[in-house]
Amino acid sequence: MDNATEDAAAAGRVRSAIYFDGKSSRRWAVVLAFGEQLEISAEDLSPVLWSYSDIRRVDGAPGMLRVSCLSAPPLARLEIRDASLAAELASGCLRLGENRLDGRSVAKIVGWSLAAVVSIIVVVLFAIPFAADRLAPLVPEPFERRLGDAADVQLKTVFAARACNDPAGQAAFGKLMSALGKSADLDMPVQPSVLATPIPNAFALPGGRVYLLNGLLAKANSPDEIAGVLAHELGHLKHRDSLRELIYNGGTSFLIGLLFGDVMGSSAVIFASRTLVTASYSREAEQNADTFAIDVMQKLGRSPKAMGELLFRVTGKEGNKSLSILAGHPLTEDRLKRMSDLDRPASGPPLLTAGEWSALKSICGPRDKI
Amino acid sequence: MSQMSFVPQHPPPLPPVAATFSGDRGEFFRLTARGAALELVTFGFYRFWLVTDIRRHLWSHTAIDGDAAEYTGRGKELLIGFLFAMAILVPIYLVYALISIEAERFKAFGSFPLLIGFYAFGQFAIYRARRYRLTRTVWRGVRFWMDGSGWAYAWRAMLWGCLVLLTLGFALPWRAAALERYKMRHSHYGELQGRFEGRGWEFFKQFWWLWLLSPIAIVLFPLAPFFYAEFKAREWRWWLGGLRFGAVRLESKLLPTAFYGLYWKVIGWFMLLVTVTGAYFGLCGAVVAMLSDAPSATPAAISRSIPLLVMFGLGYLVLILSLNVVMRLYLQRDVWARVVASIHLHGIEAAANVGAKGDLASALGEGFADGLDVAGF
Repeated sequence: MDNATEDAAAAGRVRSAIYFDGKSSRRWAVVLAFGEQLEISAEDLSPVLWSYSDIRRVDGAPGMLRVSCLSAPPLARLEIRDASLAAELASGCLRLGENRLDGRSVAKIVGWSLAAVVSIIVVVLFAIPFAADRLAPLVPEPFERRLGDAADVQLKTVFAARACNDPAGQAAFGKLMSALGKSADLDMPVQPSVLATPIPNAFALPGGRVYLLNGLLAKANSPDEIAGVLAHELGHLKHRDSLRELIYNGGTSFLIGLLFGDVMGSSAVIFASRTLVTASYSREAEQNADTFAIDVMQKLGRSPKAMGELLFRVTGKEGNKSLSILAGHPLTEDRLKRMSDLDRPASGPPLLTAGEWSALKSICGPRDKI
Repeated sequence: MSQMSFVPQHPPPLPPVAATFSGDRGEFFRLTARGAALELVTFGFYRFWLVTDIRRHLWSHTAIDGDAAEYTGRGKELLIGFLFAMAILVPIYLVYALISIEAERFKAFGSFPLLIGFYAFGQFAIYRARRYRLTRTVWRGVRFWMDGSGWAYAWRAMLWGCLVLLTLGFALPWRAAALERYKMRHSHYGELQGRFEGRGWEFFKQFWWLWLLSPIAIVLFPLAPFFYAEFKAREWRWWLGGLRFGAVRLESKLLPTAFYGLYWKVIGWFMLLVTVTGAYFGLCGAVVAMLSDAPSATPAAISRSIPLLVMFGLGYLVLILSLNVVMRLYLQRDVWARVVASIHLHGIEAAANVGAKGDLASALGEGFADGLDVAGF
């Protein structure tokens, strides 16, 4: 036949292997000859020469050495099932294992991942707050208004609540809001409303929407308490906090989601880390809104202490209940203390008369809940 | 057919050949355990390489007619595919957010139909991800490959999905058969074209009683794993039995009960790991309570201690990662091993000399599937 067979015969055995030429699925029973280059030959196969430095190991079944060759068709494969022949070939091919994932490449993956994680953390902690602060004022007002409209429709569905419209109550509410508005000096029109729901809360939405929930009104003892809370919400509007928070939350959830990918249970991790980072961001916004509310109340000649008292009545002492780094608001007792420290006897006229106050209290009709 | 008309009759067909899986279970366990640890260290970025390692292990230990397959995909390709997919998905997410604001103005949750668009995109991703995996599958020096259009597939999947909804799941077998026909019609092994001959009706006959009995499993929930295992085994058998490449025909002898043990073992491990983690949490709490001064240590104060939260977080991560290892070991490796061992191939001689054909597909589809959190086969 040819030299290869004779050489092998001289060595006392046939160096047989299986060869696939990468052009068809035909299985060739071949013999190998180790010359200048690796020679692969079979009866009706024109001899194939593989240079040793081009031979690479690829995945094969256990007990089999499967190699490819850089200069051959990419899927050409040589399979050696005889262990001593495999060892003989391996000893000749110095760069056999080069396409394996070794410890160094794993270390590289780990290193780059850590770099990516650090950069994402930096972006979440510094770049996104910065971008949110800068972008929020650039958002055109009509867009912000649309955002508020969309949220308004959704909100009313979620709370299954209607806006309260008792005329006397509306008049009192309007008077209170215009007094606050003048003092707050806002650059946008405000659309305030009271929603009939027993939940004690108040909030602001983009586009100048302020909501007072009836549950909070029911717990309030004086107009000043409600005025303080509303001034706080006006502070959020003035600082465009909901828009900033929207940009901030969108950015951080996206980045943190990208980080954890499809690891099972990642949604819990995403939720936890988001709670941590956004809480600190919104705590700062709350503190600024408090500062704003204190300022507005003092301009009106009323004490900010009333607002703190109302909050304390609603939440109770918070210090034992929740972890301060997880809370989106500063602790109520801290807020009460801050507002009490600035307590002064009232110098301005009362914001509402007793009659107006009771009309406001029953703006959602005679109270049967709560 | 045959040019050799002088041969009086065709040779008798060769007996069917078996597919074998020779992977070592311990090796697979070490692979996934190491991968899980690296996923923890790299905050999940190692997933691309782990998935690749798992596929390389499964493919290279699977032999058909004595020749082992090979997976030629690499983790780096998946990472690049993922980054490209993100670059495309991010603007889409932004546009989606803007459109949904407009839709919400008209009606609360009016943006919900937009999610259907994401479902279609997910189907597209499933098709393209399958194409990536198939073009990285090599057997006897010839690769599998796929043509056809991901969007045409997504469109079919959507229409069939509507029908399934309208018929309360009744049309599911026909949907599966129709989608498989599309996928297999566009799948090739070199020059051999694939096709799918499984019929929806046969699938329906296999599982209609499970469909009827499934309300019982909601009440008697320990039955649910049996039902699911039975359904999966029957689905695999039906699917494998319908696969064709040219004259090569597959047949599976998978028993309907084949997966019962696997699902129960997963549930057992799940409960054991959760119990161990619970005990660990309790122990951490007790240690922290002992170390802090006794009188002021109310339960509320203990729950606010930072070291405790860190220990809880670590315990949680270890739990999640070990559950990942358990699921990969039983639901990927063991299911694979059982399924492969059940396969017989008829007419394998048609694959003895198949010309190579087909190009590599990009990993973009896998990236979309990762970004959209969808999985499919």
